[in-house]
Amino acid sequence: MKNTSISVSGAEFTMKRNPKGNKKGSLFVSIIFVFCILAAVVFSVARRTSAEMSSSAINNLSDSLDLVKGSIEAILIKEAEFQELIAQEITVSKDPYEFIRFYNNSQTISKVSLILKGESEGISSTGEVFSEDSLDFSTGKKVGNLPLTQSYLNEMGTWAYTMKCPVMKDDKEIAALYIEYTFDSLETTFPNNLYNGYAMLYIMDSKSERLVLKPTGMGERDAGHLNLADFYRANNIMEDSIQTMVDEAIQATDNIMFYHDIRNKNSLIYMWSVNDGTFYLIGYVPVEAIQQEGRSVNQSIFTVVLVMLIAFFLCCILYYLSWKQQEATRKEQEAEREIHNKQLAEALHAAQIASNSKTTFLSNMSHDIRTPMNAILGFTTLLAKDADNPAKVREYTKKITSSGQHLLSLINDVLDVSKIESGKMVLTVGEFTLNDLVSSVDAIIRPMAKEKGQTFNVTVMDINHEYLIGDETRINQILINLLSNSVKYTPANGNIWFRIIGQKQHSAQYEHIRIEVEDDGYGMTPEFLETIFDAFTRAENSTTNKVQGAGLGMAITKNIVELMGGTIDVFSEVNKGSLFRVDLELRIPSEQADREFWKDSKITRILAVDNNAEVCKSIRMLMKDTGISVDTALSGQEALRRLTEAGDKETCYQAVLLDIRMPDMDGVETARSLRQVIPDTIPILFLTSYDGDDACAEASSMENVGFLPKPFFVSTFKEALLNLHMDQNHDIMEAESEEDNVLNGLHFLVAEDNEVNAEILSELLDIEGATCEIAENGQLVLERFERAVEGEFAAILMDVQMPVMNGHEASLKIRQLDRPDAKSIPIIAMTANAFAEDVKDALNAGMNAHVAKPIDMDILKKTIRQYVSEKPFTKKGEQNEREQEGKR
Amino acid sequence: MKGSRKGNVNRLQAACVTGIIVLTLAACSGKTDVGGNLVLKDENPEKVINLFGPMEKSRPNVSNIARTAFDLTIEMAEKELGLTVCYRTYTAENYQEKTYDEVSIDRVRNNMDDLYLLNPDTIQVLGSEDRLLDLSVLDSAKNLRDVVKTANTVNGKLVAIPQEVVVNGLFVNKDMFDQYNLELPNTPEEFMECCRVFKENGIETPIGANRWWLENFVFAQAYAELYNGGDTKALIEALNKGEAKYSDYMRPGFEFLKELIDKEYIDAETAYTYETIEGEGPDFLAQKTPIVMAYWGAANSETAYGNPDFNLQVIGFPSKLGHMPVVSMTGYGVCAGAEHSDDTLAVLDIILSDEALQLYAETNKVISPSKNVEVECIDALKPLNDRINENIYVLGSNAGMNVEQWGNTCVIVRELLSGATVDECMAAFDKLQEEALAQALEGKGN
Repeated sequence: MKNTSISVSGAEFTMKRNPKGNKKGSLFVSIIFVFCILAAVVFSVARRTSAEMSSSAINNLSDSLDLVKGSIEAILIKEAEFQELIAQEITVSKDPYEFIRFYNNSQTISKVSLILKGESEGISSTGEVFSEDSLDFSTGKKVGNLPLTQSYLNEMGTWAYTMKCPVMKDDKEIAALYIEYTFDSLETTFPNNLYNGYAMLYIMDSKSERLVLKPTGMGERDAGHLNLADFYRANNIMEDSIQTMVDEAIQATDNIMFYHDIRNKNSLIYMWSVNDGTFYLIGYVPVEAIQQEGRSVNQSIFTVVLVMLIAFFLCCILYYLSWKQQEATRKEQEAEREIHNKQLAEALHAAQIASNSKTTFLSNMSHDIRTPMNAILGFTTLLAKDADNPAKVREYTKKITSSGQHLLSLINDVLDVSKIESGKMVLTVGEFTLNDLVSSVDAIIRPMAKEKGQTFNVTVMDINHEYLIGDETRINQILINLLSNSVKYTPANGNIWFRIIGQKQHSAQYEHIRIEVEDDGYGMTPEFLETIFDAFTRAENSTTNKVQGAGLGMAITKNIVELMGGTIDVFSEVNKGSLFRVDLELRIPSEQADREFWKDSKITRILAVDNNAEVCKSIRMLMKDTGISVDTALSGQEALRRLTEAGDKETCYQAVLLDIRMPDMDGVETARSLRQVIPDTIPILFLTSYDGDDACAEASSMENVGFLPKPFFVSTFKEALLNLHMDQNHDIMEAESEEDNVLNGLHFLVAEDNEVNAEILSELLDIEGATCEIAENGQLVLERFERAVEGEFAAILMDVQMPVMNGHEASLKIRQLDRPDAKSIPIIAMTANAFAEDVKDALNAGMNAHVAKPIDMDILKKTIRQYVSEKPFTKKGEQNEREQEGKR
Repeated sequence: MKGSRKGNVNRLQAACVTGIIVLTLAACSGKTDVGGNLVLKDENPEKVINLFGPMEKSRPNVSNIARTAFDLTIEMAEKELGLTVCYRTYTAENYQEKTYDEVSIDRVRNNMDDLYLLNPDTIQVLGSEDRLLDLSVLDSAKNLRDVVKTANTVNGKLVAIPQEVVVNGLFVNKDMFDQYNLELPNTPEEFMECCRVFKENGIETPIGANRWWLENFVFAQAYAELYNGGDTKALIEALNKGEAKYSDYMRPGFEFLKELIDKEYIDAETAYTYETIEGEGPDFLAQKTPIVMAYWGAANSETAYGNPDFNLQVIGFPSKLGHMPVVSMTGYGVCAGAEHSDDTLAVLDIILSDEALQLYAETNKVISPSKNVEVECIDALKPLNDRINENIYVLGSNAGMNVEQWGNTCVIVRELLSGATVDECMAAFDKLQEEALAQALEGKGN
């Protein structure tokens, strides 16, 4: 059945293809058929024309020969008549011989002779004795009534004939008159250039078959013919049948004409009887010579047909070119249409997918938002119920905070996607250190991994420059996304590797780094790998469906990487793990400031001790740009040996980097030994792992020691040195503690139309020891500020989207107010509009800073500390103060 | 790009349509001369020179190289002078008819043609009758070899000039000589021996002969010493004065011929009727006859003995002084009463110029009458050519002798062929000498 079905479908296929082929084939056959008909018609017309012309040409030839023949016969008759006239004249002459003797020969008549009746000899006009014996009248031929001799060669060396005429007097024959005529005189009857000289014409004596007249103007070949036999031989007419036919015709004194090849040309041979067969006009003419007209007509027909064919083929070519052009255009249009259709289909598919994804996304979001919202509302209910139980209240608020943060991260992701899709994602480029990057990532990820019992390994290697220029926040976001995914999708006790590897630089101005995030977690299916970077996708299976997320992280990550001009690749296998690889090229800053630091630090040489050669190498590479020379030792013993061997032990190294964990002799032990050699003023800095080390406590008891988390970074090293230096400076510590109370006693003017938000802010400020006055829109803020005394408010915290007058307008108008603090009062935007352009708009409107909602108090404090130099009295503070003054 | 292509196609179409329209209009154009005389007139009537000469009988698809060479020179003249040279010819159908020489004499006497190709005896006859113009006026005559001038001067007039020095020789089939281990003969005895060997080996007629050229045997033996030994001039003078007899010179040659005839080395009966080459040629080419006689050019011409299937060698006729070429001069003479004598002389001057003779000699591989023209001959002719180069030859005709040699000897040899004795033949010579002496005396008397 299957075979049958294939066969049927094959036939169908053939059926589908054949009509086009058949159409072309039938068109071709039709054209050929039309051409065949045309060719047949042209051929038949040409043939018919040729035949008619040939027949006509033969008739013309016959007419020409008849004409020549008639002319010769006319001459012969005239000669006979002339001879009879002479005979009559002789009759009346007194002395016939005298008459003859004085007769002048002419070109036609070469000799005149007379024999008187009864005599055997007579006299000639040449004066010789004449006898009839030399003449042959045996042919019996006559011209008129006059007998004619056979042709002979006369005394002039030319062919001649003689006619005999009786001289009658009183009805009695008194003498015989003989006149010799040369054949040369008959030449005048021959047409000049018969058929353009292609036709040959001779006069042949019938009896002797000698060619007695070969006209002048002949080529030597034709002039050489002797007689009929020679004519046959010269023209290769050797067929007995033809010769017999000619003999019979001559015998019967008939005309004869036949075809024969002469010198490889089809020719007409003709033999025309003259004077009842006394002579024959013989000769030949090539057929092509007599059919010139026919040939011309045929050539014309051929030319016309050829021109028509050329024109036809030209038209065909033009049609073909035009058709080809149209076909090409059509194909292009079809291809374009197909592409459009494909694009449309793809767009439709994408739209459907997007729609589905968005439906799924909305569904997920609904779920994902409702989950923390449920927690928040649930715990809020519980909070209300257990308001008297401080322990529970703290627990509930902690959970509410966690849920709120989760909700916020969801909203941030959605906002990022929105920015990416609208093309509004903007990078904030600045200088950063890899150290900070790794530290912040480690600080976030390590606890998460630890919580799940996973091992988190951080490796930084082959990095030439740790100070780089880029959007640190977004790179951080990339790493957090990748690593948090790894934590999410790796089961307990799994491993996560985070590597930053320096690659070969393509340009001296750019550091090429490769970030690898690897895990041995669940992995992904190949199908999912194809869509991993699409928005709104999330790997789900029985194991991971517990994992929460909007499915936007990878899409955001990929877009950020591409925005930075980098690439991201993923390799994964189900149940074996995944590897994400990000390649970025980040600009290297001039590092002038850093160099100055190291110059001022008076450190020229350090000793680095680590049992890992890679670490030693990395330290050397990173320190290269600082101008400090680095000696390395792979063990404590080696470090000691180096110091022992050094000449001036106290000054040869200005710092020692020491891995706290080493085999044989660990870091602490080594440090103790080193301290015996080097003075306490030389700092020893321990390289520790991020997750802390028990040895640290032991080491910290030593003098002038510090700690650097691995991996080694110059900036960490620098910070550690600074920390060591600052350990003795308690002012700094106080300043830091003071920083925590930055808001204490400040009074703010707050523009906030949302009562809840206003209340929350008010409460939060209150917690920090600050007070505020709420205005519900920009107009009210403006009016309130106008009324305020100078220095009444430390700053204005301005919402942007408000009724009556928005934040931007209000800020502009405040700045335009004619009062001394109108220009200087800090205006800080506090808005849910958190995009970069929102920040820009806020600054353009005259605001000093932008803090995104929901309010992070740490950020707010940091911002306020930056812009608020003096502390205006808060109402609360003012009151306290007044109270204290009153007490005094 | 697409637009450009489309534009090209449109331009092409426009060009084609324009071309077709132009062609159509051109084809439709043309004006009929309604009022004019439609009869075509020959505005430049053609000048014609009539040439009378002997022609070998035509053979289909075979070209006669001698004619070709002659035609090439005629073509030069026609081009340069803007005239046409028309051929007239006569060939006797058989021995009973008038010979070419007889007809040519008749025609010259009756002023029938302008230019004639004449045999030596005819030249002497017509020259002595003052029927031929003096050609020494031609520029081309200044380049002629002395022997040519000598042979063609009659009564102090150069009456004929040849395009080639005709050297007659024996054409032998060297393969047949080799077959019977025969050396090529130099002397009459050696020749006779060769004939004997051929005859004994079944070659019925070792020598193919015609009625014209057997006299060469006579001349070779008669005048070998006269032209190549003693004081030629004095010996001829003695003959002209009657102090010596032609018959004495001629006798050995006639006796030799008689012996050849008697021993049937020559078939006298057929030789008497055969025209040149036509009669004896086929047997020679078919290798039935090892020896024939002919003129130099026959070795180059396909219509004669060019390209035979055997090793052809051409040597002189046997004589006491070795094989001896016989030089005769057929030459072009202009009829004194020629209708177009000036044009004819002009034609003659061109076809006898060094340029024309170089062309002629190169085409025919012959000895040129001009002392300025030298060409190499074919291998077969080298033995004969060597003798000429050594200046060893006899003349077949000499206008300085008062008895015409070429024609008379030919006639008397024919008598020998028809059965006359050698003595009878010698008597004929004596008679001729007597008539010549009487004529000379008569001339002096006048």
